[in-house]
Amino acid sequence: MLLPDSAVQSRRVAEPYAAWNVRVRHHIGNSAGMQSALRAIVAVLLAFLVTSIPILMSGKSPLIAYWSLVNGAFGSLDHIAFALNKSTPYILIAVGIALCFRAGIINIGGEGQVAAGALAASWVALNAIGPPFLVMILALASGVAAGAIWAGLAAAIRLARGVHEVLSTLLLNFVGVLVVSAALNGAMGEQGSGFPQSPMFDDRVCLPKLLAGSDLHVGLVIALIVAVIAQILLWRTRFGFRLRLLGGSRSAADYAGVSFASTVMAVMLLSGGLAGLAGATEVLGVHYRLIEGFSQGFGFTAVAVALLGAADPLAVVPAALFFGFLQAGALAMQREVGVPSSLVFVIQGLSIVFALSAMALDRGRRRV
Amino acid sequence: MHGIVKNYGAVRANRGVDLIVAEGRVVGLLGENGSGKSTLMKVLFGMIRPDSGRVVFAGRVLTDHTPRMAIAAGIGMIHQHFTLVDAMTVTENVMLGWNEAGGFLKPDRIARKIEEASRNYGLAVNPGDVVANLSFGQRQRVEIVKAILRGSKLLILDEPTSNLSPPEVAGLLGVIRRLKEQGHSVVFISHKLPEVMEICDEVVVLRDGAVAGHVQIADATQESLARMMVERDLSAPVLRKNHTPGAVVLTVEGLSRCDGPAGQQLHDITFTVRAGEILAVAGVDGNGQRELLDCLAGITAVKAGRIRLDGADITRKNVRQRLELGLAFIPVDRASTSLVPGFTIADNLAMRDIDRPPLATGPFLNATAVRQMARTRMAACDIRASNPDVPASSLSGGNQQKIVIAREIGRQPKVLLAFQPTWGLDPGAARFVIDQILLLRDAGAAVLYVSSELGEVLTLGDQIAVMSGGRLSSPAPRGTVDVTRIGMLMAGAA
Repeated sequence: MLLPDSAVQSRRVAEPYAAWNVRVRHHIGNSAGMQSALRAIVAVLLAFLVTSIPILMSGKSPLIAYWSLVNGAFGSLDHIAFALNKSTPYILIAVGIALCFRAGIINIGGEGQVAAGALAASWVALNAIGPPFLVMILALASGVAAGAIWAGLAAAIRLARGVHEVLSTLLLNFVGVLVVSAALNGAMGEQGSGFPQSPMFDDRVCLPKLLAGSDLHVGLVIALIVAVIAQILLWRTRFGFRLRLLGGSRSAADYAGVSFASTVMAVMLLSGGLAGLAGATEVLGVHYRLIEGFSQGFGFTAVAVALLGAADPLAVVPAALFFGFLQAGALAMQREVGVPSSLVFVIQGLSIVFALSAMALDRGRRRV
Repeated sequence: MHGIVKNYGAVRANRGVDLIVAEGRVVGLLGENGSGKSTLMKVLFGMIRPDSGRVVFAGRVLTDHTPRMAIAAGIGMIHQHFTLVDAMTVTENVMLGWNEAGGFLKPDRIARKIEEASRNYGLAVNPGDVVANLSFGQRQRVEIVKAILRGSKLLILDEPTSNLSPPEVAGLLGVIRRLKEQGHSVVFISHKLPEVMEICDEVVVLRDGAVAGHVQIADATQESLARMMVERDLSAPVLRKNHTPGAVVLTVEGLSRCDGPAGQQLHDITFTVRAGEILAVAGVDGNGQRELLDCLAGITAVKAGRIRLDGADITRKNVRQRLELGLAFIPVDRASTSLVPGFTIADNLAMRDIDRPPLATGPFLNATAVRQMARTRMAACDIRASNPDVPASSLSGGNQQKIVIAREIGRQPKVLLAFQPTWGLDPGAARFVIDQILLLRDAGAAVLYVSSELGEVLTLGDQIAVMSGGRLSSPAPRGTVDVTRIGMLMAGAA
């Protein structure tokens, strides 16, 4: 049963309980979501195309390089597990940042919030006494709390002092990362290791594996559940409506009785909590210890992921997977073809540039 | 302009429009919202490309021109929303984006030019003023100076009087006359028939994207022009039922707000509105009307004074609590306050009701109820859109205002605060808004109607008051109102 677009629409108006497939098709055919998905895909393809120029100039074949990239990312179950683990923090952090974007708040403090979350989770994992499963849950929860507090601090500075959130979140990043370093070089550091890292956690408080025999931990499942919940939160709840209203127009939000301060605080706490959770799953699921510099710029990359996913919690998932698999394949590309792995950062950057340009282009056309 | 055709998808915005403006003539362009005026002017100014048709200016065919080329050719456009930088002085704004200002700026030379033009055209613009400190009318004059100095022979004024006070309007009309004397041509876009009759030499009326009439002003009357515009007789008086006011619903005592600039202060405002009664408040914009309404709606906190709704003190209540008690509000600003343009119609209709049943189900939004309410309200107010999921920005101004009316009146409030709800609407849509407000009054609601259109205030008000300098005159019943005295009050002379 293929209905023309208009028929689907009119049917939707007349029939609120349209069959799910009709609604899905309506959503896909009609929504800005499909357009931005297409835009993102084209942007990614363009980025690959442009990046083949430097590969060609270094005398290598882009096709072979990209093949080894794909192979490195998907080549075996281990590779896939590695890539999925890499994507997990991106999903968690970017979902929170996407919610902030929706409310018109720019949270670029993911890095500091991740650090705070990881630090708190590590401390609990190392020091709490009790049944291992409960310790693990407590570690995750304290990661969430620490990330939320870190973001809440930035929001408080924004609300009480009027410092723009870009500044307050950005500057707290440095503080957060350095606090981790200070802890690892001090009380939390492993004696005699010669490297700023904490002792290993007890195996039993670390995140369980999703597939026996692989490195894939349950963080991915948590991240996917978070993305779905965030999608529902944004589109189906009063809180989500308030976020979108605030992002749509501050004065309309005032008019509708939406409190700027409490909404900004809430979305920042939420976003920071998710970043803190990402930090906690990273130390509890991948490293089994807190290591200096473990987060490799997750907080910043996640801003790019949120943008590529058009600030849509569900669309953030494929965007995060793309980044995760790209980075996972990068090392293989370097090893096998001799193309520097940093070129994938070029691909990431260009994807974002092209995706944002396409969005701007679209807006320009609509304005006319 | 010959045979201009422009289609937006299925919408035929212009279908073969001819417009001829001779040198030194003032041509009025009339038409309802959505009749194609803006589209035609955007084509002329090079902001959009027509699907077919020709633009000939001073013997030169303009094809695929950009606004920059239009300016270079001698066409100037004064938009409704000004393109000035608030933090800069008049001189700096004039120099901005102007090649002839030179690579090295010579502000003194430009300032002299501004003074000279200002004298020639009676603009009274001071080059050293910072734009942020200027009134709306003065900013408009800065725009006019900008256009003149850039060599505009043809000026397009897009609804130039919609935000001006009566003396400012008179001043603007004087400026237009001076422009005409100096050989400039003017296209004057307006909804206000008296102004068009006063200033224009000829009038082109657009309806549904085509020319509905082209008359010399000597041959036109206000009624004939209005008829051409909407093809129905608008001079029929607004029907009002006999006035039977009930108990006092809204009481305001000694409301004051003494901080902020002079135009935003309120001084000891006291009044009451009864059920089934409209208190209409006249006054020039910027005399505290916005602040009064924001205080009453709960958007701004009240520092001194008391507000009571149905006996209950709501002075300290927030926006949501006041909504719940039956206080509705139509703000003046459709572009970003009463509507979110990027939101769908359904979301806009739900905007102020999401925290109460039936739209709220615990922390969730009841999507079915949202759609149900959207459909009911769209039908009730005849909002023309294919479905409730269309963004509000795609609708015409009239249909956008219908969304606001449907939301605020559809809630069946006890008190309605309306702030210039007909602003920028064509006569048909304005009439709809007024009829809805009268219906609400007849159903027993108390209405506070604030407008700078004196005609509206006199037509609508059961009680009439004037706001000036943050003070409200004591309301008088419509029968006893003396128009001269109102004029004096508005001018702050009584």
